[in-house]
Amino acid sequence: MEKIECKKVSISTRQLLDCDNGVWRGGKHVIETAATPLANQPSPYIKGTYDENKIGAVKKIAIKSVHNGKDIAVFLEWESPTPNLKIKDINIFPDGVALLFPFKNIDKTPINEMGTQDYPTNAWYWRPDFDEKPKNQVSHGLATSLYTEKSSLVSNSKWKDGKWRVVMARPLKASRPGERTVDLAPGKSIGIGIGVWEGANGERGGVKAFSKEWRALVLEA
Amino acid sequence: MAVNKKALTDREKELAKAFEETKEMLRKCEHQVGMVMDLNKCIGCQLCSMACKTLWTSKEGREYMWWNKVNTMPGKGSPKDWEKMGGGYKVKFGGKVMEPVRGKHPTRKEFGDMWDYNYNDVFQNEAGKVHLQARNQVDGSEPDWAMNWDEDQGAGKYPNSFYFYLPRICNHCAYPACLDACPRNAIYKRDEDGVVLIDQDRCKGYRFCLEACPYKVIYFNFVTEKSMKCIFCYPRLDEKVANACARQCTARVRWVGYVDKPDSIIYKLTKVWKVALPLHSEFGTNPNVFYVPPLAPHRLTPDGKIDTSKPRIPRGYLRYLFGPEVDSALATMEKELAKVRNGGRSELMDILKAKDWHGMFGEFTKDPALMERKPPKGAKFTRPMP
Repeated sequence: MEKIECKKVSISTRQLLDCDNGVWRGGKHVIETAATPLANQPSPYIKGTYDENKIGAVKKIAIKSVHNGKDIAVFLEWESPTPNLKIKDINIFPDGVALLFPFKNIDKTPINEMGTQDYPTNAWYWRPDFDEKPKNQVSHGLATSLYTEKSSLVSNSKWKDGKWRVVMARPLKASRPGERTVDLAPGKSIGIGIGVWEGANGERGGVKAFSKEWRALVLEA
Repeated sequence: MAVNKKALTDREKELAKAFEETKEMLRKCEHQVGMVMDLNKCIGCQLCSMACKTLWTSKEGREYMWWNKVNTMPGKGSPKDWEKMGGGYKVKFGGKVMEPVRGKHPTRKEFGDMWDYNYNDVFQNEAGKVHLQARNQVDGSEPDWAMNWDEDQGAGKYPNSFYFYLPRICNHCAYPACLDACPRNAIYKRDEDGVVLIDQDRCKGYRFCLEACPYKVIYFNFVTEKSMKCIFCYPRLDEKVANACARQCTARVRWVGYVDKPDSIIYKLTKVWKVALPLHSEFGTNPNVFYVPPLAPHRLTPDGKIDTSKPRIPRGYLRYLFGPEVDSALATMEKELAKVRNGGRSELMDILKAKDWHGMFGEFTKDPALMERKPPKGAKFTRPMP
């Protein structure tokens, strides 16, 4: 399985949250993304009226991750010619990005179904209109994702020159009552996937681009 | 278009079957309530709209919504030109195949946005300098549409101009396009009465339902970022109180009852007398709101004499709205009307006159003033997921 290294650094979380911090220069991992398969859409309407070739406007996304022993930070960068910042009208959709993690055995957790009843997934979901407080969500398969009541995620984001740059950060261990989420630890690795929405292309929900396979996020001890 | 022609994997087939079964479950109901509205009696007073607004849509992001509205026909309605926005189904092989039709999102301005007035500017300036002006909340532009913007405009030329009112709510369809569209299974029909509801806890505001609904009666709440629509006053029905729009109607236009119970007034008007028809049945969703089509007064010749050579409202237009069945519905009404004019009696005309309003609401005649205002203990507002 392709590995994404998450190096240990001695940089404060506040500094890591700066998209322009030198730590985010170079060494990024590029992941190709593709349209979510129409065959898996839990909506006869979407299945019957959308064109798979027109879904998934974002074709690749760059990722880099570090931790400082206490918090983990993930930097994401992708091309988006025009930023869609908020739901200004009924026909306008905001851009977005999400990281997906399996709670349990990666081999039994299908990434293209966001898990199953027995093998759920955890998503960290950023949108420009979430006021830099990304949502934590749990999914037991397609059509079942729900936000948890609480979320430890914070973010910082910038859109410039046709590109989104987003940093999401969180304590390595964050699960607590009201926040069901994956706990991470230095020296351990976890599966990771990415979903990305291009608002200008009407993308929301299952209509998006995603990384078709799990990668391993390996946290340096 | 649609799913690539590649062969589906076994897992994809398994998932598709499970999704279909879930939709089937969300669609099924023991009974179905419905409404009949008599377009011969509607006077376009919007009391129904105001009753609904006062009760359901006065705050928390619902201010711009009209879950009930009265459009003038012919007209563009609301959202503007909704009849041309797509959605619904192409029904094939007698209903065995329901092919979804891609729809378009209405915009907030096409519905008619909320307006703000420049009261402060007018108040603080010298008299006559600034005049009162309305501005759309969404972008400060000058309002150019609203739910009754083209009220009473109609069509035709004097003295044979014509229009009629078309009150509109959610049709609580037997085959709701919104339910099928929702990838989160947030939309379902209530078991006991088939009322279509959007579970606000499950809705994530993706707005596929707004695309798919061919009647464009779903709104988007910009505050909660969830989709909302007419709930057929289900908390009132639970207490045997008729819908606010029906109860408030001064012209006694609306009947409420079960579509599937032979002793109900809705059954009588739709299945026995067959004078109440769904709007745009070609959209394929099988609405449970029905309309008694308008007969309209006779045409006049240029010298003011009655002209019976053709109807005032072109029959083609009524067929466009209510399908070819409109011909026999109007013929039945004319026949029954003639009976009464000749001194006879007609059960149908007695129903349509609605002298005693109690008869209009079946079992839903309880006085709203006597309603329990708190939700009953143990009331379930969402359906458990499979």
